[in-house]
Amino acid sequence: MKKTLYAVLAAVLIAALCLTVSCSKEKKQELVIYTWEAMFPDEVLEDFTKETGIDVVYSTFDTNETMLEKLSKADGGTYDLVIGDDYIIDAAIKRGLAQKLDKSKISDFGNINPLFQSHYYDPNNEYTVPYGAGIPVIVYDPEKVDWKITGYNDLWDPRLKDSVSITANYRVINGITLLSMGKSLNENDVDVIKQAGEKLLALAPNIRLIQDDDAHLALLNGEASVAFLYTSQVTTVLQSNPNLKVVFPSEGLGIGIMDFFIPSKAPNSEAAHKFLEYFLRPEVSAKCFDYLGYYCTTKAADSLVNPDLVVPEFFDGEIIQNVSLEADEQYNKNWIEFKSACD
Amino acid sequence: MIRKKRNPYSLALIPLYVMTVFLIIGPLLYMLLLSFATNLGSGAFSWKLTLENYRKIGDPVYLDTFWKSIKLAFLSTVLITLIGYPFGYWMSRLSKKGKQIMLLLIMIPFGVNSLIRLYGIIILLQSKGILNGVLIGLHLIKEPLKMLYSYPAVLVGMVYALLPFMVLSIYSSAEKVDWTLVEAARDLGATKTRAFATIVLPLTAPGVFSGVVLSFVPTMGLFFIADILGGNKIVLVGSLIQDQMTRGGNWPFSAAIAVILTIITSVLLLSYSHISRLVGQSGEGSGLI
Amino acid sequence: MNKKSRFPIVYLILITLINYLPIFIVVAFSFNSSKLPTSWEGFSFKWYAKLFENERLIQSLGNSILLGVSSTLLSAAIGTIGAVGLAKTHFRTNKVVSYLAALPLMIPEIILGMVFLAFFSLLSIPLGFVTLLLAHTAFCVPYILMMVSSRLVGMDPNLEEAALDLGASRKRAFWDITMPLVSPAIVSGSILAFAMSFDDVVISVFLSSPHFNTLPIRVYTQLKTGVTPEINALCTLMLVATIMVLGIYYLARRKKEKQ
Repeated sequence: MKKTLYAVLAAVLIAALCLTVSCSKEKKQELVIYTWEAMFPDEVLEDFTKETGIDVVYSTFDTNETMLEKLSKADGGTYDLVIGDDYIIDAAIKRGLAQKLDKSKISDFGNINPLFQSHYYDPNNEYTVPYGAGIPVIVYDPEKVDWKITGYNDLWDPRLKDSVSITANYRVINGITLLSMGKSLNENDVDVIKQAGEKLLALAPNIRLIQDDDAHLALLNGEASVAFLYTSQVTTVLQSNPNLKVVFPSEGLGIGIMDFFIPSKAPNSEAAHKFLEYFLRPEVSAKCFDYLGYYCTTKAADSLVNPDLVVPEFFDGEIIQNVSLEADEQYNKNWIEFKSACD
Repeated sequence: MIRKKRNPYSLALIPLYVMTVFLIIGPLLYMLLLSFATNLGSGAFSWKLTLENYRKIGDPVYLDTFWKSIKLAFLSTVLITLIGYPFGYWMSRLSKKGKQIMLLLIMIPFGVNSLIRLYGIIILLQSKGILNGVLIGLHLIKEPLKMLYSYPAVLVGMVYALLPFMVLSIYSSAEKVDWTLVEAARDLGATKTRAFATIVLPLTAPGVFSGVVLSFVPTMGLFFIADILGGNKIVLVGSLIQDQMTRGGNWPFSAAIAVILTIITSVLLLSYSHISRLVGQSGEGSGLI
Repeated sequence: MNKKSRFPIVYLILITLINYLPIFIVVAFSFNSSKLPTSWEGFSFKWYAKLFENERLIQSLGNSILLGVSSTLLSAAIGTIGAVGLAKTHFRTNKVVSYLAALPLMIPEIILGMVFLAFFSLLSIPLGFVTLLLAHTAFCVPYILMMVSSRLVGMDPNLEEAALDLGASRKRAFWDITMPLVSPAIVSGSILAFAMSFDDVVISVFLSSPHFNTLPIRVYTQLKTGVTPEINALCTLMLVATIMVLGIYYLARRKKEKQ
């Protein structure tokens, strides 16, 4: 009986080892990319390997903060190329975890859409190459909402009782409340933030769910009739139900940008530069953004990419920046009070 | 038992002691220290010690979160025990073959990622989902019920996720009950209930205890069930810590919340083990605590 | 089993069925041609085809099994020996250690993950299989320890003494008397330990290296784009594999027992 158990265990272990080993080939030059899962179509990574002979090792994190912590514990080493959100790149650069790009190695640097450059975290474009941008917008189902939604303030309408689905980022939701009051997304005045908190509480009865990953599914499975969604989610729901209406809120927009950066002690920064050079080719960028479903940040690829992903002409908005600790604490409190009030 | 000069079982303790010292005390001290550090934002902090993080927890918003988590944990543990006890107990009375099959049946679902299983529940409960479809088909309801994103949905998720822990605890302690004793008691005229209360219950009490620990404790921290099935509307301590660690970037504060959470959980479990010892079923609680 | 009442067996079957409902749905939706889990759009094998092209996912599955099995074995050894040791010795520190050993259950995972990362980099242990194994063992031991300890309560301590008096060696007494008695608890505890290790993401994501990622890390980090039905397909295959492995074990065991 014991022997059988050992035999089965051994068989399972051997099978697992086979799976583990079968995929790790001969050691060649490597490029370690560190980002979320499923950020690139396989084809793009495979073509890069074919072209340069450099193997891509694709490593993933769940949150920006995990990435920053692991990178700082690795002292800016281990990883060759990182993609993260704007605010975390700000922190990474401030902590000296990013290295300046050698633009002589990236001939197509000019292909980048300047709208997504020179922002607060990298004012002189020394460290980053943008990889997709998002503008959270309102999407609604005209079959269930028979009036016109034009801005954030409409979300407070009592007709939407228990039918609004929103994303779960505390700064974004606080931010749109501030925008709806005609204030800045990055308000630092604690009293104003408190007022926003009170206004937010009034939104609670309308909230059906608060979620980051699946807020968009609620529009399709009948749980919600209005949703405030990230760009990739908007792309996804429109593919399933083209009748949904997209609203760019009249009160102003918030934008988010994801960027590449090379860690300060990247083991193979040469390969990282090669990859950036490769990515900025219009046809490669277009493939990436079509797959990713975020707004195209490579201007030269605009004519090749799905037209829905070309940045709207009226594009203008604020980026969420880090605020003072007191302000941040108030944002947090608003958020928890709001979530509890939704129950 | 009379203590011998040198108990050979002392050697058996070495691995456990080594592991505890290296992998638990070290990290624990770090967490404790961190909870007194000063937050600098975005995951940065300085080792200037302060009580500020603990003072902040005193804010009603945060206290309320603790209270809600304890209530939810309590409620779901009661449900899990009510459903899990008979399951584990009856399972232990099956034939040998039956037991093996049941163990396999409990084990198989673990092969499926827990997040994916939760998505299964969503498909089941959503408004255009299977359950609503069946109910409408049977003409029991006319309009689909809004079952998701509510307190009951979170409870269902907790019970679903943690039931196996209770069942296996009960099973492994009920399995050692000597049924001939029960038979004998019955022959001597004891009622079924009495035989159960005097023989079975004391022997399974440690199983109930470990089952309660294994289901109560995780409930306080299982934030993703509240996120996915509760639509984030029920704020648990687990989600608070998660929020503060990630987008909030305030690590010392999260560490302080975790310290308080650990203390509360420990106190609740200690008093529970104390009470169950007072009630006096087994004389000695289970090994832990 | 009670001869009169059918109720217990009905109850066991009913709860088991409810437990399996979400699993059946996952299996069904792995054949759904739509990318979204919101509606059924027709039968398709395309997610299986995609899955087999996804080397990263398959490799991480191998890693997860390897990690799960080794941390379960290691924690079963530490936990079982430890529980027996705790039951048979009377050191003052025993109570403290048994409390401390249970702490990984109480501390939220994200804190544990962050603290482990800080701790391992302080000791300059490079991240990868070893750090994952240590951390997983630390949070798996409590399950085994708990199960075995509660099994040992109320067990007759004289049994083993008697065996010793009859001239059995201590080793033999342990293997022939104690082990068979606690084995159901070890099995139960190991099932839970494996489940926890196989499912963990929050701690693992802090301790993985670029060359060693687990399956849950691959699944949970699809945040920017959403989880794809490939994962449903993978889960279905794993379900089939689990059933096959367990089935083979079960049959082999029965054959042996008959002999």
